[in-house]
Amino acid sequence: MRIAKRLITEEAITITVDGKPYSAYPGDTVASAIYATGKRAWHRSRSNEARGLFCGMGVCYDCLVTVDGVDNLRACQTLVRAGMTVTTNLESETL
Amino acid sequence: MHQQAELVVVGGGPGGLEAALSAASLGVQVSLLDAGRRPGGQYFYQPPSCIAPYATRRQRKGAKLWDQVRQAGVRIQSETLVWDLVTSGSEKKLYCYDPQGSFVLKARAVILATGAYERPAAFPGWTLPGVLLTGGAQTLLYQGVLPGKKVLLVGTGPLQLVVAKKLLDAGAQVVAVLEGCSTSKLVSKGLSQIGALWGQWERLAEGAGSLATLVRRGVPYRAGWGILAAHGTREVEGATIAKLDSDWRLIPGSEQEVACDTVCIGYGLIPFNTLSKLAGAEQAWRQELGGEVPVRSETLETSVASVYAVGDGAEIGGAHLSRLEGRMAGLVVAARLEHGKDVVQETMAKLIPALRHERRFQRLYEELFTPGPGIYTLAQEDTLICRCEGVTKEKLSRAVENGVGTFVEAKDATRCGMGECQGRMCGHQVAQFIARSTGKTVDEVGLFHARPPVFPLPIGTLAQVEEE
Repeated sequence: MRIAKRLITEEAITITVDGKPYSAYPGDTVASAIYATGKRAWHRSRSNEARGLFCGMGVCYDCLVTVDGVDNLRACQTLVRAGMTVTTNLESETL
Repeated sequence: MHQQAELVVVGGGPGGLEAALSAASLGVQVSLLDAGRRPGGQYFYQPPSCIAPYATRRQRKGAKLWDQVRQAGVRIQSETLVWDLVTSGSEKKLYCYDPQGSFVLKARAVILATGAYERPAAFPGWTLPGVLLTGGAQTLLYQGVLPGKKVLLVGTGPLQLVVAKKLLDAGAQVVAVLEGCSTSKLVSKGLSQIGALWGQWERLAEGAGSLATLVRRGVPYRAGWGILAAHGTREVEGATIAKLDSDWRLIPGSEQEVACDTVCIGYGLIPFNTLSKLAGAEQAWRQELGGEVPVRSETLETSVASVYAVGDGAEIGGAHLSRLEGRMAGLVVAARLEHGKDVVQETMAKLIPALRHERRFQRLYEELFTPGPGIYTLAQEDTLICRCEGVTKEKLSRAVENGVGTFVEAKDATRCGMGECQGRMCGHQVAQFIARSTGKTVDEVGLFHARPPVFPLPIGTLAQVEEE
């Protein structure tokens, strides 16, 4: 959820996450853009658990995503770009 | 591609910025390497430009400091990771990785200002989405996003209060702030060492201001309380909390249930000492300083000549201490490299009393906010200790029963610490667990060995450098 009081001065851009369009702002990380939609889990751990943001500073590697074909990027350290394609290894139904 | 500098500073947080500035101002040729996209580290975390008009005072201060560094002629390299540090003769070689690939940087002296990361501690439910480290929640807030609607903060120290206030301001509900240190200790220690607080007005005002807001908004601040478990099927839906004894162990019978959708845990910081360790610098276990830290001389030099360590990456002491240490190390290196000889003595004479005073504050802070051993006793048999490799407490217990007595042996037996985080999340927890189970000290159990690359790198990156 976006903080209502924060006035955002730039136009929204669109990224694709698992085939769905997500609205994001320049300066968002992939993690903050996903979090802003209310979704808080997007990575399946080796222990088959749903994970998302934990440390938020690039240390824990719980938030891994694939961006434009590049695997294992930390969503919390990856800035959004218009047209970026993000894929995750988590589909909630299969957990 | 090889590059050279007289001094390389690793880390662009408060300590690194000051180190680079003080050395460069005296004529040293300095390269500053920072992993972040923007300057400042975690302390001066810079918000995205699209909401920059809302930058806090601290963020503006950080941006100003960065400007000074640039104007002093420091070569600044952002988005650059240092993944190995070796000494060859009188030269230091830093193996770096940036978006263009790998390169080697040679230097006559290195100041490590690598900062710290947050200390996690496992409890049932700690891997549920919605459980975050407090600093991570703060970063989300800076990005203009709420971590949750109904938040419980658990842990210790003033950061909890500050983030709780930011959450309230952003429109979240704060269920409670649980502080592990008891009220009686907070009051008695605070009063008995009031001198250590003298002059710390800005810091005290921030803490007091946040606390006042919480009280006014009816948020319970419970000292001497902690978390027992987080519950929920897909995400956090609630938590069990309880009173703690002086070792921060749960007092049976005091449990309470609270509803919340988010739990922020903040048990303080762990120094990022991997690079000094990798360079071969002697380390010591100092629980009150954050754990394993490099042994340093009075001039902040590690046991490896011309490798200095400052700030939270060397011992947890906060941003003010980091800045003072950074300034000092910058001066020491300048003097060593025969720059600005006439002013070094004079500047140093002013720095020393300031450092001494800041260390008094650091000691009080340690006494109050070093988590007790109880935080490492919350995991149940099926609770994961190693998040990356999915190693449960039960698996670790079995390994210990089978004779495992050091961290390295536990790693071989269970794969704990072998995942992407390289043991940064589980390291202390595994070491504490083995120490408790075997009756050894944490020092004897040890932590993971530092091996290059200290960050996961794309395949081929290492080969790229070897070929040169």
